[in-house]
Amino acid sequence: MKAEVLTQSKGGVWAWLFQRITAVLLIIGFTSHLISTHIQAIGELNYRNIETRLGSAFFVVMDVMLLAAVLYHALNGVRMVVLDYWCAARSRRTALAVFLWVVGLAAFAYGLWALWPWITG
Amino acid sequence: MSQVDRATASAAANVGAGNWKGLGMWAWMLFRIAGVVLVLYLFAHIGVISTGRAAGADTMNDVFNLFDKTLFVLLDLLLVWAVLFHGLNGVRIVLMDLGLGIHHHKAVFWVCMAVAVVCFAVFAYSAFGFIRDQGGGLL
Repeated sequence: MKAEVLTQSKGGVWAWLFQRITAVLLIIGFTSHLISTHIQAIGELNYRNIETRLGSAFFVVMDVMLLAAVLYHALNGVRMVVLDYWCAARSRRTALAVFLWVVGLAAFAYGLWALWPWITG
Repeated sequence: MSQVDRATASAAANVGAGNWKGLGMWAWMLFRIAGVVLVLYLFAHIGVISTGRAAGADTMNDVFNLFDKTLFVLLDLLLVWAVLFHGLNGVRIVLMDLGLGIHHHKAVFWVCMAVAVVCFAVFAYSAFGFIRDQGGGLL
């Protein structure tokens, strides 16, 4: 029964798997991210504070991982919402996926560009 | 596709969403609403953080000063709830997909929600302490 459900999933099995993998990464990443920004540095968030935080390799790896994982998870989520209400032909579903990949990669590049001066110090 | 195949396919397609009634429906609806809110916030967040490079440190600090106002701290707290609900309900979904706790799925849901509430209390304590120390009006 379970295999049957999986193969009939509209989103595809790999997307289903990656959505779970990124979910676990996000649980770990956001725990660190929210504690460091909203509890440890509450009210102290500014340009210099971020610079200090991104001076540590741990937070560079964490933030870049979070950026990639959250973009995949969010845009695949958007894809699942769209597919729930708009059961289009295979070619249009592919077009949707390609469009979301372009948006995601562009947002990742832009986010990395934004963090770069802090990362390189 | 025969009538029977169609019925099977449509039943299978509904598995992820659960039945359109009761606790599962509310969990699914709030999960989806929180998810959409978080997608919108994600792009706003990338935009705000990029002001550091796009517009300079002073502009970025002005934006952060605005976010220290009571109204934005309260909005932040709503966002924390969206993250916690989506995240902890997501933990339940991953556990179900792994076949863990299926026979106690309601208990798993409430344990996840209890964890979310406890975490939220910690963030609320931090946020209200900050609002109190800072004083001043809503904006």
